Amino acid sequence: MEDLKVVGKRVERVDVRAKVTGGALYAADVQLAGMLYGKIVRCYDHAHARVTSLDLSEAAKCKGVIKVLGPKDVTQKEYNASVLDMMVSADMRGVLGDIDDQSIFTDHVKHYGDAIAAVIATSEEAAERAAEKIRVTYEELPVYMTAEAAKHPDALQFRPEKPGNLAFQLPEMAFPDNAYAWGDVEDSFAGADIIVEDSFYVPKQKQCQMEPGTYIALYDDQKRLNCWTSTQMPKLVQKKLANLFELPMTRVRINITVIGGGFGARLGMVLEPETCALAMAVPGRPVKLLSTREEDWVTSPSRHPGKYWMKMGFKKDGTPVACDARFENYKGAYYVDASGTAFTTGAWLGGMYKFDSLRYRGESYYTNQSICGAFRGYGNPQTNFVMEQMVDRGCAELGVDPIEWRRKWHKTIGDDGWCIGVPYNSCALDECLDRASAAIGWTEKRAKYKNQTGTVRRGIGVAVMNHTSGAMPMLLEHTVCDVLMHQDATVTINLACSDMGQGSHTTLRQVAAETLGFPYEDVHMSVGDTDAAGFDIGAHASRTLYVGGGAVKQACEDVRRQLFDRAALELEEDVGNLYMEDKIIHVKGSSNKSISVQTIADQGVNNFMNPETGELIGQPGQIQGYASFFPPHNAPPFGATIAEVEVDMETGEVRVIELVNAHDVGRAIHPGVVEGQLDGGAQQGLGMVLTEETYYDDKGICLNNNFTDYKMFGPSDMPKMTNILVENPDPTGPFGAKGVGEAGIVPPVGATANAIFNAIGIQILEAPITPEKILKALAEKEKGLS
Amino acid sequence: MTSRVMAEFDLLLPYSVSEAVTLLASHGDKAAVLAGGTDLLVALKFDYAVENIISLAQVPGLDKLTYDPEGGLTIGARVTLVDILKSADVKEHYPALWQAAKVFATPQLRNTATVLGNILRASPAGDCSLALYALGGTLTLESASGRREVDLDDFWLSYGVTARKNDELAIALQVPAPQAGQKSAFRRMTRVTEDLSKLNAAVCLQMDGDKCLSARVAMGCVGPTLVRLPKVEKILRQAGITPDLLQEISDTVASEIAPIDDIRSSADYRLKVAGVLVKRVIMLALNGGNDQ
Ligand SMILES: Cc1cc2nc3c(=O)[nH]c(=O)nc-3n(C[C@H](O)[C@H](O)[C@H](O)COP(=O)(O)OP(=O)(O)OC[C@H]3O[C@@H](n4cnc5c(N)ncnc54)[C@H](O)[C@@H]3O)c2cc1C
Repeated sequence: MEDLKVVGKRVERVDVRAKVTGGALYAADVQLAGMLYGKIVRCYDHAHARVTSLDLSEAAKCKGVIKVLGPKDVTQKEYNASVLDMMVSADMRGVLGDIDDQSIFTDHVKHYGDAIAAVIATSEEAAERAAEKIRVTYEELPVYMTAEAAKHPDALQFRPEKPGNLAFQLPEMAFPDNAYAWGDVEDSFAGADIIVEDSFYVPKQKQCQMEPGTYIALYDDQKRLNCWTSTQMPKLVQKKLANLFELPMTRVRINITVIGGGFGARLGMVLEPETCALAMAVPGRPVKLLSTREEDWVTSPSRHPGKYWMKMGFKKDGTPVACDARFENYKGAYYVDASGTAFTTGAWLGGMYKFDSLRYRGESYYTNQSICGAFRGYGNPQTNFVMEQMVDRGCAELGVDPIEWRRKWHKTIGDDGWCIGVPYNSCALDECLDRASAAIGWTEKRAKYKNQTGTVRRGIGVAVMNHTSGAMPMLLEHTVCDVLMHQDATVTINLACSDMGQGSHTTLRQVAAETLGFPYEDVHMSVGDTDAAGFDIGAHASRTLYVGGGAVKQACEDVRRQLFDRAALELEEDVGNLYMEDKIIHVKGSSNKSISVQTIADQGVNNFMNPETGELIGQPGQIQGYASFFPPHNAPPFGATIAEVEVDMETGEVRVIELVNAHDVGRAIHPGVVEGQLDGGAQQGLGMVLTEETYYDDKGICLNNNFTDYKMFGPSDMPKMTNILVENPDPTGPFGAKGVGEAGIVPPVGATANAIFNAIGIQILEAPITPEKILKALAEKEKGLS
Repeated sequence: MTSRVMAEFDLLLPYSVSEAVTLLASHGDKAAVLAGGTDLLVALKFDYAVENIISLAQVPGLDKLTYDPEGGLTIGARVTLVDILKSADVKEHYPALWQAAKVFATPQLRNTATVLGNILRASPAGDCSLALYALGGTLTLESASGRREVDLDDFWLSYGVTARKNDELAIALQVPAPQAGQKSAFRRMTRVTEDLSKLNAAVCLQMDGDKCLSARVAMGCVGPTLVRLPKVEKILRQAGITPDLLQEISDTVASEIAPIDDIRSSADYRLKVAGVLVKRVIMLALNGGNDQ
């Protein structure tokens, strides 16, 4: 790895100029000739109701209206907006039991904001004015907002094929006793000296990406369905739309517009089905659909909220003997990612500590909340909130230092990772813990904050995490990459990996330049057209650099091999005797025998024949590299966060003073990009643990699907923060890199909760930990004492 | 539910106060005045519709912020939060107002939002309004038939409702000159830094050495309008401010307020911490704006 020229450097990001100057073209900026506008009529009066009448007639008469569409005017086919079913093999699909239960428009409203009908008009104004004229009457149905309510025997059933409103539980066939488990927990608990147990609540956090969903679709004169979208998963959405509208893939084209943030909110389809359905109704005319923030909120998925119970047993010497857990999530109105998150939430739990035995159960219940799906971390932040607080409670009872305990009992190389049977192949968590602890002065502060009595009390807490780079072997990680060598020896990389702002097009370009041995400037990334690019599973699970980078590396190696083969032929030397420097291929030890890459590239296209003799010169043809790449592993990233907080005992207010994040990133291809991911992750993690929650009233009406009343951490709320990048190259990652997209959000959650515990001696079991909850807990403790 | 499309309206651009009040006289309740627009535009994107919007953008003379040691502070209808923050006079003589402007909204908002707009919005959470309530002031209202003055104490009638008649334009607010020994402060509690208040408090104390001669104490987010706390003011009158007195004040506050549960906080929480907030804002005033 020595002597890297582009990898590890803070090169200029490919997207930065356009974004900073306002030149970036988001879907909302795309204007097409003859554009029409769609407006969807949603139910904002009820969270659960049956449509008893729908009158479109007045709307149809409005000025500028082209068409008004009800449920019967569009495809009746049901679909599942999630792409999980396309990420697993056919056998696994059957086992998971994912179902198609969404429709374009519905007559059975299952959540606040469900779609009823739509208007297509010549302007946004006309569409909206007409939409106001659509008359709908409803019959109210009982509302089920929690798993507890939805599983009640008398509850109305959401889907006949999912009795008890149990959308998903770990299937017996793959998970005996419906549990992700090893050992025998009951036996192990019997041998425990200390047992801790509690029930927690994790919140319905929203991604809050900057760009609200905007889509354009056009059913063109070639009978092709074109969709402009900022999806994270172009190739899977292409296939999903092909299935839904019963078209061959050659007749569905996705154009990726600049993505204004994803974090999981665009993992799978969001309003692509609705937009395409509108476009199919007006062939030849493009239709644009712009969501307001409130609409984006209730149509794109959130994090899975729910009740999370956990029990841990330890021996007196600290040995973790057993962990038993159950996460019952409040799935929302439709199936979407019911299976995925219910499983991974336990996978992260299983991947962390060396319990003698462990049992995790994950269940997804239909509720009348808006849907949950992918969100940065995919179950990991939920587990961190619960698992790390339980570990600290255990440590408190054992009287051991939380860092010491974690250092001793975390899983490492050779232990089973988050997927039982797939051992970790790299782990630098010890170094993360050591460096974070030294950076913040853990030992001194922990001692100092022991016996505080003042109004304002400080606390310091730690949390660790394991994550993944792509989801091999659970999901079929795969990226196809083409590398086109131009006549002038510059290259274009063609693939479908999307950049949601995480910097992947920059780091992939660095990987390409480094592998080719070319300057960064000689590489161009061509991305975003599903007509041109081969398969890519999509940007999820911290995998774009790890898997996409693997594909880029392999395809560029293919180019390099072809270059060296041609040079060997030309120079009449063995390939093994050649080396490249500044795009010139030399013969070792012979200073005058060389050929430039430029000559080879030019020769193959412009100069491959002697015009007089007709004899071929060199090897004719344009050089093109190709890879259809499957990663051999999931290069586990590890990380530790130490948080220091100040709690006001009179108001319950928490101020986060400092955060130190130390992450095992394998190799930082672009350190600035990695730091950006850790900063942004921490900001969302702090929001989840301290302020973010979606609130509903008892009728299921959402009360804060907007930025006035949904409160995230902003820049002015952020503490002093240090990011420590521990570079311990992973044997399978491109140049040793591991995924960093999700890791940053995870340990700030547990570390902050533990710092509060350290400051006030009470664990708050429900996130977000608001001042209201802290003050209540302090009052209850006081009462208990007096 | 907000919309990307606003209801249609005519934008009227008067070039003088007299033109503005003439327009108000003819359009009456079918018109809204636009100052910084940070409340009005939010309402227009939500569900508010009005036929005419009368913008103050071209009306000269309303952007004056003047201080005179005798006459006090005059805040014109187009004076923004940034104007307040830039004023050394406000910072020195009316710290409560300066502190409210400092934490108010975001930099972008502070560039356009006006102090008078905050008063006219009549929100029970208004930060500058609350600071001014404690400092005391008189609002000048003008209509085609003349001018009148209304004391802030009589201005807010109920949630979002003021004593302004719909043909009146607010011209300026007059805040009395501080007497020697006047100390004031503002403090608020929010969910995150950039937020609307979930609880706020402001005080203006007339001090003679360690003794408080009289006080105005006001709170927000504890009822349909901003409120004053007469019992607390009475405790402070002619009193030395001791830890015991502060405790008595803190214990009294809850009996003077009637907060509700809403998305920002709960009634219970507000009742519990209101006393703490008032105690702390008094300390802040005494310490000249420094915490502790
Ligand atoms: C993101 C955001 C953050 C905010 N944060 C805060 C905050 O921290 N604290 C806070 O208190 N408020 C906050 N607000 C609310 C708002 O910014 C303030 O109330 C502001 O002071 C309003 O002033 P304006 O000039 O923008 O008023 P406008 O919107 O122009 O007007 C407000 C109302 O007053 C009327 N009006 C204005 N001027 C006159 C006049 N001269 N005569 C008669 N009627 C008049 C208008 O017709 C309208 O009804 C926030 C708003 C937003 C959007």
